[in-house]
Amino acid sequence: MVRASPLSAQARARKRKEEAWALGLVLPAFGLFFLFYVVPLGQAVWLSLHQEGLFGRDLRFSGLENYRQALADPALWKSVKTTLLFAALVVPLELLLGLLAALLVWRPYPGVALFRTLFFLTTAVPTAVAAVAWGWFLHPVGGYLNHLLKGLGLPPQPWLTSPDLALPTLAVITAWAGVGFTAILLTAGLQNIPEEVLEAASVDGAGPWTRFWKVVLPLLSPTLFLVGLLVLLKSLTAFGQIHLLTRGGPIESTTVWIYRVYQDAFFNFRFAYAAAEGLLLFLLLVVLAALQFRLLGGRVHYA
Amino acid sequence: MRRRWPLYLLASLYAFLLSLPLLVLLSASLRAPEDLFTPGLLPPKVSLEGYRAALTDYPLWRYLANSLLVASLATLGVLLTSLLAGYALARIPFRGQRAFFGLAVALLLVPGEVTFLPLYLLVSRLDWLDTYQALILPFAASPLGVFLLRQYIKTIPEDYFDAARIDGAGHLGLIRHVALPLAAPALGALAALTFIGTWNMYLWPLVVTQSKEMQTAQIAINFILNEADAVARWNVVAAASFLVLLPTLLAFLLAQRAFVKGIALGGLKG
Repeated sequence: MVRASPLSAQARARKRKEEAWALGLVLPAFGLFFLFYVVPLGQAVWLSLHQEGLFGRDLRFSGLENYRQALADPALWKSVKTTLLFAALVVPLELLLGLLAALLVWRPYPGVALFRTLFFLTTAVPTAVAAVAWGWFLHPVGGYLNHLLKGLGLPPQPWLTSPDLALPTLAVITAWAGVGFTAILLTAGLQNIPEEVLEAASVDGAGPWTRFWKVVLPLLSPTLFLVGLLVLLKSLTAFGQIHLLTRGGPIESTTVWIYRVYQDAFFNFRFAYAAAEGLLLFLLLVVLAALQFRLLGGRVHYA
Repeated sequence: MRRRWPLYLLASLYAFLLSLPLLVLLSASLRAPEDLFTPGLLPPKVSLEGYRAALTDYPLWRYLANSLLVASLATLGVLLTSLLAGYALARIPFRGQRAFFGLAVALLLVPGEVTFLPLYLLVSRLDWLDTYQALILPFAASPLGVFLLRQYIKTIPEDYFDAARIDGAGHLGLIRHVALPLAAPALGALAALTFIGTWNMYLWPLVVTQSKEMQTAQIAINFILNEADAVARWNVVAAASFLVLLPTLLAFLLAQRAFVKGIALGGLKG
């Protein structure tokens, strides 16, 4: 009250009007955020603390019972293991494939635009189309890859139908689908390396090989780490390719965490239990995302 | 030029290997049913039977139209809500400004794929299952969009706004005549990112659509694959997939710069 007194009535009215404008302008975005982020998350937490009858009726409060059950459920732990193994295969492979593409196009030369288009193209390929393309490429009878193997005198492989091969195969497909994304981010990272540093290395007589290992790679490593974290976050929630190609099988060998949540919710109709499983995954992802955010630190507040 | 041939050779070889699955798919889509299992990259003879069947045996136009509607409206929504909120957060001092911006940043950390179950429960309670609003509204505002636009509009020099104010512009005028044109690069990148993201959505349309009329192109691929694989009509599956790929492929080729920029900016979030 005391601080308000120097303001004239007119200035106060103007300030109120400005605040009304600001609230009106942020309302569409934040109204949608509230309705489609905050409310559902709250609802999920609330639901996860209850037991339910058939089809989500007859809710009764049960505290952390669902979480206790989930954490003692071997099926969930198996899916956690599958998810982590999947991510451990996807992340290095996608980084490697993306880095190779980025190294081929980061500096300008005649025709570089064409190669950039070709390498970045997979960002435009929908998951479903990528899955179908690979489903056909690896088809047990007509598949191109098995034809190639036969030509080389090797036996055809049950790429997506063997419990041992299905998960690594899906990891390759996922890494392939992510090459464009990774290549774009790594190209940007490479282009941020100061030209003088590279020139200085050349003047000192370093060949391309030495330059890559001693100059480029160390300077790129923070970017590589961040991109790796991004790829990790994406691979922990991969769903479409798994749903289309293996439906979590064979013998649950590709039932990843998020697929488990989907199955428990939409096939076993245990919504409250699935909510608990989903929130546990959510927790892991938020921790990883927060780590990424911390690392970005200064870069988030770019000029 | 003299020592560049290894680079060209390596880049061409790698590009060929990377595009091989798509080339093989294209080849399958152009094969006659009897040539489907003939080895080789090129179809023995070109047949459009797969495309004809994909478009007549399935309401593919309907699915493509659904996807186009969902992706376009969600993109428009994101551009509009982000521009308005970004402007207010960057340019109007008001109580709660920090809290609103903090909320947008916090929501950046929320991974979209994991909220599908709570979101499904909400949408079913609203009785929105199998409707366009369920496919569009949850994606009509984006924390990343608000964040990017706020950052971008903050960098516009105050002089531009002052000049417009002298001409008597209010907030809406400032948004239309200053923020909108000057933030166009950020909006373009955001549009490319949002369009491709919503066009490619899989899990969400899978759980909220029930009738065939509401399904998006991605989900259509799922059941065309199930139906046609059973009778080995892979030329039809391949043709349908190519038709679904075409819009994003064209968008990418036409606006590659915006896509690359969008991904580089969005990479902050992912």
